[in-house]
Amino acid sequence: MNKPYMGKILMVDLSNQALTEETIPDPVYQQYLSGMGLGAYVLYNRMPADADPLGPENILGFCSGFLTGTGSLFSGRWTLVGKSPLTGCWGDANCGGTFSPAIKRCGYDAVFFKGISSSPVYLHVKNGKTTLRDASDLWGHDAIETEEMLKKRHGSKAAVAVIGTSGEKVSLISGVVSDKGRIAARSGLGAVMGVKKLKAVVLEGVQRIGAHDPAAMKRLSRHCNKWVNFPMPLKLLPGKGMALVGTFLRVSPALFPQDGLLYKTILREWGTGGMNQMSIEMGDSPLKNWDGSNRDFPLAKSKKIDPDLIKDTEIVKYHCYSCPLGCGGICATKGKYAHTHKPEYESILALSGLCMNEDLDSVFYLNEILNRAGMDTISAGATAAFAIECYEKGILTKKDTDGLDLKWGNTEAMVALIKKMISREGIGDLLADGVKVAAQKIGKGSIEFAIQAGGQEPAMHDGRNDPGFNVHYSLEPSPGRHTLGAHLYYEMFQLWKRLKDLPKPSLLFTKGSKYKIDEEKAKVAAACSKFMSLSNGAGMCMFGLFLGSKKIPTFDWLNAASGWKLTPEDYMLIGERIQTLKQAFNIKHGIEPKNNFISSRALGTVPQQEGANKGRSVDIEKLAPGYWEQFGWDKNTGKPKQETLRKLDIK
Amino acid sequence: MPYTITEKCNGCAACARICPSGAISGEKKKRHAINGYLCIECGACGRVCPQSALLDAGGSGCEMLKRSEWLKPELVMEACMACSICVDACPVGCLALSDVPRDKGVDAYPYLKDAKACIGCGFCSQECPADALIMQKPVKKEKAVAAG
Repeated sequence: MNKPYMGKILMVDLSNQALTEETIPDPVYQQYLSGMGLGAYVLYNRMPADADPLGPENILGFCSGFLTGTGSLFSGRWTLVGKSPLTGCWGDANCGGTFSPAIKRCGYDAVFFKGISSSPVYLHVKNGKTTLRDASDLWGHDAIETEEMLKKRHGSKAAVAVIGTSGEKVSLISGVVSDKGRIAARSGLGAVMGVKKLKAVVLEGVQRIGAHDPAAMKRLSRHCNKWVNFPMPLKLLPGKGMALVGTFLRVSPALFPQDGLLYKTILREWGTGGMNQMSIEMGDSPLKNWDGSNRDFPLAKSKKIDPDLIKDTEIVKYHCYSCPLGCGGICATKGKYAHTHKPEYESILALSGLCMNEDLDSVFYLNEILNRAGMDTISAGATAAFAIECYEKGILTKKDTDGLDLKWGNTEAMVALIKKMISREGIGDLLADGVKVAAQKIGKGSIEFAIQAGGQEPAMHDGRNDPGFNVHYSLEPSPGRHTLGAHLYYEMFQLWKRLKDLPKPSLLFTKGSKYKIDEEKAKVAAACSKFMSLSNGAGMCMFGLFLGSKKIPTFDWLNAASGWKLTPEDYMLIGERIQTLKQAFNIKHGIEPKNNFISSRALGTVPQQEGANKGRSVDIEKLAPGYWEQFGWDKNTGKPKQETLRKLDIK
Repeated sequence: MPYTITEKCNGCAACARICPSGAISGEKKKRHAINGYLCIECGACGRVCPQSALLDAGGSGCEMLKRSEWLKPELVMEACMACSICVDACPVGCLALSDVPRDKGVDAYPYLKDAKACIGCGFCSQECPADALIMQKPVKKEKAVAAG
C-alpha cells in the first residue's frame, strides 16, 4: 500500500449492466498521474471520434486525484470527465468535498460509465461489491433530497454524487452534485449523466491509500500549513475595505505582482465572496452581460453584496477533504431552506452584477435552487443576463418571456426566469442549454451578445482586465474556463521559484504592459496550463496553489507520495502531456481550435468607452500562435504536430 | 500483507462481525478466512478473537484485549487544521465534525461521536498530517471525576 494510486479503474457499461474492473499499468500513472490525466488517457484511447456527447459512446468518468489521501493538503478534488455536450470538446469539471478520497477507498482511481441504461439506475460500491441498483424512486428528486435518501439507505458515511432535475432534463448547463451542494458544474457533464439515466454514484469504501514516504508527506504538509496560518494584516479590514483595495487597483497606473498570501487571507476570512466588490471595482468582474462597467454597479449598488453581509450568515466553515483553509461555509438562509452552502464569488456575481440584480437574498435563494437542480450557477446567471439583454433590445418580447418583464435589475422576473430554466418550462426550455444554443434558436443577431467560448459561458473574470483570462478562455481544450491560468494566477503560483526557465514578473509594471503580445506572455500562459493540468491530475485545489510554489510543495509531495525522483521540469512535462492529450482529443473529434475563441465583446474588439477596462482590447488572433507554439502545436491551426505527439508518447 | 486466521479459529464469527471492510467470511463454527484484498489491517479482528487465532500483517499472534482497554483518539485542539482527513480515514465512521463550532473560529472540529463503535485502529491518528489526534487509553470514569 505504499503507492499513492490504487492501480485499478471500474468500467461500467450501462447498456448491458456489465461492471468490469481493470488494472492500469504503472507507466500510465508515470505519464499522466491519475485525476484528469487518467481521465484524458482513457477517453482519448477508448472513445470513437464521432461519438455523440449525448449518445452511448460518450464515456463519463469520476476520477480521484493522484495525491488524494496521501497525507498532502489541498488535494481532495475529484475530476468529472467526458465529451462535453455544451462545447463538443474535451469536457471536465472538478469539485471538492469528500468524494475524491471515497473513490480511492473503494479501490479505484476512477470509475467510468459508458452506454445508456434503459431505466434510471445508481451505482453502489461497498467492500469490493459493485452493483447497479434501480433508481426509479430517486428520479425526479433534487440533488440534495436524493443525497439524503441515499444516505438514509446506505449510511451517513456513504459518499454520494448525484444529478438533480436539470441533469435528468438533459440541460446542457447541468453538472454533478455532491456534499449537498458542491457541484462539478462546468462543461455540461450533468446532461451526460442524465441521458445515461445514471442518477447517482454511491461509494462506501474503507481501503487505505498509500504513500511512499508518509513521514515526508507529513513534514511537507506542516510546512504548507505554517503558511496557511501565516498572519496577515488584511484580516483587520472590514468587507467593504476590500472594495477600496479594488478601487486602488483600478486607479493605480502601475501594478505589482500579487502574492497569494493576500488571497489566502481573503479566502479564510470570507471565502471567494471576499472578492465581490473588489473585483467589480478593479474591472475583473463582468457586469450587465459584459457590456457594463464598474460605473454601472458602483459602491452604492455593490454594497448589497458586501462580503461581511455574507459572512454574517455563516454558521460554520466548510472544509473540503484535506483542506486546512476552509473557504466554504454553511449559511443560514431565509425562507424555505434553512441552510445553504455559502454562495461562491462566481455564483454571486453571475446572479447579481451580470444581471444587474442588487438583491442578496435572491442570490442566496437562486444559489440553493440551482445547486439542488444541479445547474451551473455561472451558466445560469450568464444565460439570464443574455435573455435580459435580448428583452431590453426588443429581440424577446413579453409574449416570448411568458409575461416576464425581463429588465435589468428586475429581481422578481429574473428569479422566475431561472426557475423556468430549471423546470424547462416555456422560455426556460429555450434557455436551459446555455447562451449559444439559445442564440442559435432566437437568431436576430443575438449571438453577438451571447458571451461564450466554444459554447461555454465564461466565468466572472474579465479578460479585458487580465488578458490572461482571454487566452485561457479561448485556447484551452476545454474552452471558457477560468481555473487554468491568468496573469494573476501566474504571479501567485510563483513557478519561477522552482523552474529556472520561467520568467519572474517585474516588481512594478504598468497596466499597459499586460496587453503587449510577446513570447513571455505565451510562456507564462503555457506554464499555467501545464501546471494546472498537472495539478488536476494530482487532485489539487487551485486556491491552495495560490500560496506559491515554495509554500505549497506540490512537486515535493508528488515525489514523496510516489517515490519518484522527478524534477519540477519533469512534472511540468507531465502537465504538458495531459494538456496535449486533451487537445489531441479535440482534434480527433473534429474540433477546430480557432472556433473556440471567446465572443468579441469579451475581447474588447470594440473597446469599452468608460470604466475600469476603458479602451482595453485583446487580440486573440495574435496571441494564439505563440501559445500553441509553446506546446509544439501548429501555430496556425492549434493542432499538435506529429513530432510533438511522438515526443510525448501519445499514440 | 493482510491478517490471517490460524487453525485455532473455532468459527465464533466475532471477527467477521467487527471487521469494517467485510474482509472476513466463513461458516459458523468453522474456521474463517480473510480476503487479503479487502483487509485493511485495522487489527480489530485480533483484538476480539477469544482464541488468539489471528496473525497480524507481520505474522505475529494477536492477543484479545478488553474493549475498555482499546486506545481511543484524543484531539489536540491547538494542532488541528479542521481538514477532516481523520473523519475520512475512520473505517467505522465513529468520528464526526462538530455541528456547533467550538472555541476556535467557526471551524468544525472532529470529535469521537460514537465511542462504542471505535475499533481503536488508529488510522485517524496515522493519517492526520498535524498529529492532532493521539491514541490513548480511555481514562476511567472515577479517575476523571477525581481529577476534576
